Amino acid sequence: MTAMTKLKGLASAAGLAAVLMTGGATMASADEVTLTMAVPDWPPTRIMKKMFDEQYKPASGNTVKLEVDFIPWPDFYTRVNASLTSGEQKYNMAVSDSQWLGAFIEGGYYRKINDLIDADPELKAAMDGMHPAIRNAYSTYPYTSDNFYGFPQFPDVLINYVRKDIVCNEEEQKNFQAKYKQKLPCTNEELDDMDWDTFEKVGQFFMRKKGEMLAGKPADDDFYGIAYQAGKGYDFSTSQIHTMIWQTGGNIWDETQVPKGHAEGVVNSELSVKGFDHFLRLLQYMPPVAKTGTMDIFKTDELFREGKVAMNIEWIGLGEASLDPKTSKVSDKLAFGLMPGLRGADGKLVRWSQIGGQPFVLMTWNTDLQNKEAVGFVKWWLSPAIQNQYAAGGGQSAIKTVYSDPKYATYRPWNRVWAPSLDWQKDMWHVPQFFELLTQQQDQYDLAITGKQDAKTTLDNIAKFQENLLTEAGLIQK
Amino acid sequence: MSPVDEQQPQFGTLAPDNWKLAIVVGLAVSALAILSLPVKDSFWVTGAMVAMVAAAFVVNAYRRHYYGGLLVSPAIAVLFVMNIFPLLWSLGLSFFAYQSNQQNIRFIGLHNYEQLLTNDLKAPELWGNLTNTAMFVVLTVTAQMIVGFLLAVLFAKQFPLRRYLLILVLTPMMLSVVAVGVFFSYYYDPTFGLLSQAIKAWAGGEQFILMSNKAGAVAGIVFADAWMWSPFVMLLVLAGLVSVPKYLYEAAAIDRVSSWRRFWSITFPYIRGLLMLALLFRTIEAFKLADLVILLTKGANDTMTISYHVIRIANEQNKTSEGAALSYLLLFVVIVLTNLYLYIANRRARGN
Amino acid sequence: MAEATTTFWERLGLRKASGVGEAGWGQTLFAAVISLIYFLPVLLFIVTSFKLQTEALAVPPKFFPTSFFGLILDQYIFSPTLANFTSVFSRAYTAGAAAESTGFDRFFFNSIFIASTSVLLALVIGTLAAYGFSRYPLRGNDTYLFIILTTRMLPAIVVIIPVILMFRVAGLAGSYPGIIFLYTAFNLPFTIWMMKSFFDELSPDVEDAARIDGSSETRVFFKICLPQVLAGLAATFVFGLILTWNEFLFALLLTGVDTRTVPVALNQAVAGGGIGVLWGLLAAIETLFLIPVFLVTFFLQNQLLRGVTFGTVKR
Repeated sequence: MTAMTKLKGLASAAGLAAVLMTGGATMASADEVTLTMAVPDWPPTRIMKKMFDEQYKPASGNTVKLEVDFIPWPDFYTRVNASLTSGEQKYNMAVSDSQWLGAFIEGGYYRKINDLIDADPELKAAMDGMHPAIRNAYSTYPYTSDNFYGFPQFPDVLINYVRKDIVCNEEEQKNFQAKYKQKLPCTNEELDDMDWDTFEKVGQFFMRKKGEMLAGKPADDDFYGIAYQAGKGYDFSTSQIHTMIWQTGGNIWDETQVPKGHAEGVVNSELSVKGFDHFLRLLQYMPPVAKTGTMDIFKTDELFREGKVAMNIEWIGLGEASLDPKTSKVSDKLAFGLMPGLRGADGKLVRWSQIGGQPFVLMTWNTDLQNKEAVGFVKWWLSPAIQNQYAAGGGQSAIKTVYSDPKYATYRPWNRVWAPSLDWQKDMWHVPQFFELLTQQQDQYDLAITGKQDAKTTLDNIAKFQENLLTEAGLIQK
Repeated sequence: MSPVDEQQPQFGTLAPDNWKLAIVVGLAVSALAILSLPVKDSFWVTGAMVAMVAAAFVVNAYRRHYYGGLLVSPAIAVLFVMNIFPLLWSLGLSFFAYQSNQQNIRFIGLHNYEQLLTNDLKAPELWGNLTNTAMFVVLTVTAQMIVGFLLAVLFAKQFPLRRYLLILVLTPMMLSVVAVGVFFSYYYDPTFGLLSQAIKAWAGGEQFILMSNKAGAVAGIVFADAWMWSPFVMLLVLAGLVSVPKYLYEAAAIDRVSSWRRFWSITFPYIRGLLMLALLFRTIEAFKLADLVILLTKGANDTMTISYHVIRIANEQNKTSEGAALSYLLLFVVIVLTNLYLYIANRRARGN
Repeated sequence: MAEATTTFWERLGLRKASGVGEAGWGQTLFAAVISLIYFLPVLLFIVTSFKLQTEALAVPPKFFPTSFFGLILDQYIFSPTLANFTSVFSRAYTAGAAAESTGFDRFFFNSIFIASTSVLLALVIGTLAAYGFSRYPLRGNDTYLFIILTTRMLPAIVVIIPVILMFRVAGLAGSYPGIIFLYTAFNLPFTIWMMKSFFDELSPDVEDAARIDGSSETRVFFKICLPQVLAGLAATFVFGLILTWNEFLFALLLTGVDTRTVPVALNQAVAGGGIGVLWGLLAAIETLFLIPVFLVTFFLQNQLLRGVTFGTVKR
């Protein structure tokens, strides 16, 4: 029995030690502030941490430590969600998808920052210096209201990744012209002016079997025209389909119309169905994995880097890997253009797109001192010099003075299309029901993508579900 | 054992084995602490009281030679704190309307269960996921039992280098599920994947898309899962096979018993218990199948399982109560099934 | 049952040790073919761990590191590299930056420390309990055993919220004792069920004789029962280790930066660095991570077979 007693003693001693350790951490001297931050593990956050450690000098004179918990992307939500909802109060700041705002604000975790902004003219100037589309998407709840919550960490948009060596090949140019009576887009201007019909033709045109000629050489493997996400996970088809529906003139349930906006009749309107059908039509020119529900953000990128497709609509956030010869077989053959638009009757392109990227937020349980230092950090982070440095290292900036400076376009080949893209970015939903809306919709979209259901039925099902759910939640009132 | 030892201590006496007094004092002190101290401190006070009561039980048991309770108590204590208590907590939550990302909580009795079983959106979903799960349980467990059994037969006899070949077969179950899922998604990929390329090289024609329909997607998941866990079954069966005394076979050979009869009358009794254990543990695990589905199909092509559904509801959507209710429905099914197993196993054991 | 002593050759598996019979090299050949096919998916990713990212997904696949004196066509050959293995421990997180430590040395230590400690702890506690259940049955013994098994039946995600809450209040979140105790509980059901069946198998005569000779209960347990189930302990240890080694969900949610285990950190290679799967890196981590548990299983293999047998076969 002595062994048992010892064991028990050991256990309680270990427990006590753990308590003392956590207690000790909070009792540190007054001018030493630790900010703990949960971030996904990828270059934009690694760069931020590095710049902070090397350069940040708090104006207050306090010692500020940024303790960053790098969590791999696939588990990021699970980890942050569990930490927040269990009341662990471990993090003072966190990177968050903009769509999570409602769920975690209503839960009482994300801190409203209007008072901090009002109290600090510099911070206010920084918030005002942001592109309004990004500020609305990353900071407001309800969406587009004047309640602010977040600051941009890595803003992101969808752009077109293009294989220059293939679309600019003379032979291909000639054949394309002969087949479609129009020019195959190759220069930056042509790429930026591309519409979805041309994109579809590119898809059809570049479907090649192994051994057929491709840009003057026999293809060493089957080749496909285009890639565009159509996966069942997370939002890996929602962002893409929303974009198409918006451009066609349809709509999703519009959060800014609460409480009068409906889902029924909007989500499944004729134009929405038309837009969705248009999206589905593109699938036939994509690599066959599109038929399995796993054509996600990483799969399209991988197919592009491995040289299997001519064009890929993808987030900028995955761009670095395409440029790096260590991870990409096409690193020296790239051009980047705006995401296609839909050509209207007047010949102009109708442009809308689902915004990507992430803001970071403050938590409600931070002490005043922590908030003060966090604001100091945010101001430093959003200052033009630091934002320029961040962009030069591979980040993107939402600050007007930064991205409209001509030197911004020189940092990365896709930065050219950054500023023009911002004007037509929209966000889907910030409401707390986001995940229910999203998972049901992704399930339904997937049925259509894998060919089990037509566009109309799919959107009818989604509309019915959303109308129910949102009426119950009081967001739709008759 | 003297009669004095058998006697319980008087309630009023201050003795280390007076567990009744310990319980009363413990409850009183804990209640006081919970009411007056901050959560963090009261937690430890309550903990200390639980330890005191436990110590009283231990001393009592020791003095009275209740060895059974004494030996079992540490395990029960650990299980209670780390497993049973959280389980009871979530069972309790299943009777409330509670979302972990909201502050309000409301008692609604059996409403969550009722919704899951009768709501015209939720009930069909539950039923669909349940049939999918049942299908996966039947397919993966059957595959594992058959493959595991055949592998065990292969390794039953002693032969040169057996030790080295055996460890190769055992390796899959030592792998991390994430790595297995990610690598199988590569093997199955229509463009890069080895399966597609092998089929194309052999039969020609289009790229082979395994996961484009339900049959293919299910086959892909079942194959990966069975590959990973057949070694578990094999190890248990193999242990049974090598334990059959050789003289029984020699006797059978003299009697010219057919190999089929030899298997049923000699070999099978030795592996029956182990087969049952393998079946029991694999079935329990198969009901929890979610990781591989998430990694390979994300539930596309109608491969959603009930465990994956629970993860979605309880984690992604933070509907804690509904998730808990769903899990307890699942638990009910598993308990009925395992009890059936154990009942049959025991009856057969008695029958022999 | 296997005999007590084995010769060097027997240990190498080159001589007959025990079993239902003996087969020759023909059986070896047949088993080798089957084993290698079975092992192929593992072999393929071990091979991938020596490939650069740009060669990992090559079509047609590059299987071979050398041409084997011209036997293999060039298109199937990759240029082997150890870069993935060094990247496991130290690499640049952003293009052009200097390589920095990834913390994987710590993660490997954590995995080994947490898994072995908790499995050993479960073995100690579970063996005591199993002995109790076997020798001093309580009223409703079977019910207790079944309830213990029940704790393994629910999807882990359901108990996550209460467990995190408990850990927070107790200050155990992110600490070693927390995750170790949790894993101990996680391992107990299997340990108790297996060890109980081993104790059930022991003949009570020897114990009774010892008791009549005046041995205390403690002595009976340590000197008589325990030595007889050593192989069973080894078997249970290996099973427990394999089941704990790759646990993911609790490790993700309850370990901190300093106590993180490899299965959690592994996802760095599944979607880290602004890219999908880093195939070579993922394969390298998994290969390294396989080695400890592979070796333990290999060296305890004989006990594993004997132990399992010993416990669960009714005679």
